Amino acid sequence: MSESLTKDTILEALKQVEIPESGGNLVDQGLLSEIVVHGGKVYFSIAIAPHQAEAFGVVREQAEKMVLQIGGVEKAVVTLTADHETGQAQAQKPMSAGEQRASSGVAGGKPAPSPRAGIPGVKHIIAVASGKGGVGKSTVSVNLAMAFQANGLKTGILDADIYGPSQPRLMGISGRPKLGDNDLLIPMQSYGVKVMSMGFLVKEDEPMIWRGPMVISALSQMMKDVDWGELDVLVVDMPPGTGDAQLTMAQKVPLAGAVIVSTPQDLALIDARKGVAMFQKVNVPLLGVVENMSYFLCPSCGDRSDIFGHGGAEAEAKKLQAPFLGAVPLHMEIREKSDLGEPVVVGSPDSEHAKIFKDIAAKAWDEIEKHEARASTQVPTIVIE
Amino acid sequence: MSDGDSSPVPVQIVLNKSKDLVSIEFDTGNSFEYEAEFLRVYSPSAEVRGHGNEPRKTPPGKQLVKITAIEQVGNYAVKFVFDDRHDSGIYSWSYLYEIGADKEALWSRYLEELDEAGLSRS
Repeated sequence: MSESLTKDTILEALKQVEIPESGGNLVDQGLLSEIVVHGGKVYFSIAIAPHQAEAFGVVREQAEKMVLQIGGVEKAVVTLTADHETGQAQAQKPMSAGEQRASSGVAGGKPAPSPRAGIPGVKHIIAVASGKGGVGKSTVSVNLAMAFQANGLKTGILDADIYGPSQPRLMGISGRPKLGDNDLLIPMQSYGVKVMSMGFLVKEDEPMIWRGPMVISALSQMMKDVDWGELDVLVVDMPPGTGDAQLTMAQKVPLAGAVIVSTPQDLALIDARKGVAMFQKVNVPLLGVVENMSYFLCPSCGDRSDIFGHGGAEAEAKKLQAPFLGAVPLHMEIREKSDLGEPVVVGSPDSEHAKIFKDIAAKAWDEIEKHEARASTQVPTIVIE
Repeated sequence: MSDGDSSPVPVQIVLNKSKDLVSIEFDTGNSFEYEAEFLRVYSPSAEVRGHGNEPRKTPPGKQLVKITAIEQVGNYAVKFVFDDRHDSGIYSWSYLYEIGADKEALWSRYLEELDEAGLSRS
């Protein structure tokens, strides 16, 4: 029975490794570098002074042994690294006796984990995408964000559709964002969720006739030049397709995951598959699939009509071995409230639809945490000596 | 659902003090060393690879090139910024693994290409 392999499990095991001379254990003495977990492999290093190389050889071996005993660990690579001590020639010498693992190639620097190039203060950035337009992605994004908020998470929403921004209307906000003291734009707010959209910067009916590089630049600014503050999750409402906006998001920030929205129709599914494939190519985990416009319940007679078919997205999710997050039905109320700028999750919080969205949000959050624990998007430590 | 898990992913990327050698340890346990010159002449940028069906343009004179920065690109690649201002190459994990594993052959090819074109490394 293997326990889940997390950094905490590893740290617990390493607490049992004692340090010679000074006493105390490996973890409490603060000698560990960032622990990297990849699949069943664990990597980290122990910082020492050069003269301690031999004494710590034993510690290194012990650490490896302890980690290997943890269920789910296939391999443990533990290296010893020496601090740069300015003015002391010995720090320049590459590790010899102590360095049992020659593969690391670190000649003398203490590896400092490089900060993840993301948005400071924002813990997880997720994309809500679809292959084609018209599947209701923006409505799903808004309600998903509201649902995260309702579930207790500090949430923001970034409207990445430069050409057809819809968040201002869907969230019922108007006005221009102001510039804060630190030269960052202050995001607009609606029902407790922070929002940024091109729609706040231009008139609603004004076309954005822009080439790719301008779109890329605008998106980068909306991510980095906005004072998002501390957020648990930033939902990015992507434009349809697999173009500049998608590439920019995949390259400029480490996305924690992507949610794909599709209608049950085959046509929409073909494009949804492309969206999925795109995220796979750039190592963005798939949080799951949402089937929008799943069915229609007649408000007067209660009859159900599967206007766009039903279950297609769920079947596709199974085929892709991706989680199915939920099915959202067509309902007058969702559309009406949307157009009034009152997402159904806040407008009718006790309704069946609000519940559906809250469930989708809860499942999506589970997936985000699962991928974080598994370090599915672990990026390498970059060390500049 | 592969999530790109099937191709090796670097665990650590180290740029040495003289900024002319990059060591990468992958999660498969393999480690490769890449001279800055090697990375520069095998940059995946279309500038070097050629656009579309254009042929490769082996850049001469890169023997002493150094790397001034390494930037993370999303979850899947890094960008090397060279001191000759080249920074358009996005080196994905799989590309880095490929050229790392095949360095000897690629290096010989590079020298041949320079030779054939009457160019030199310096």
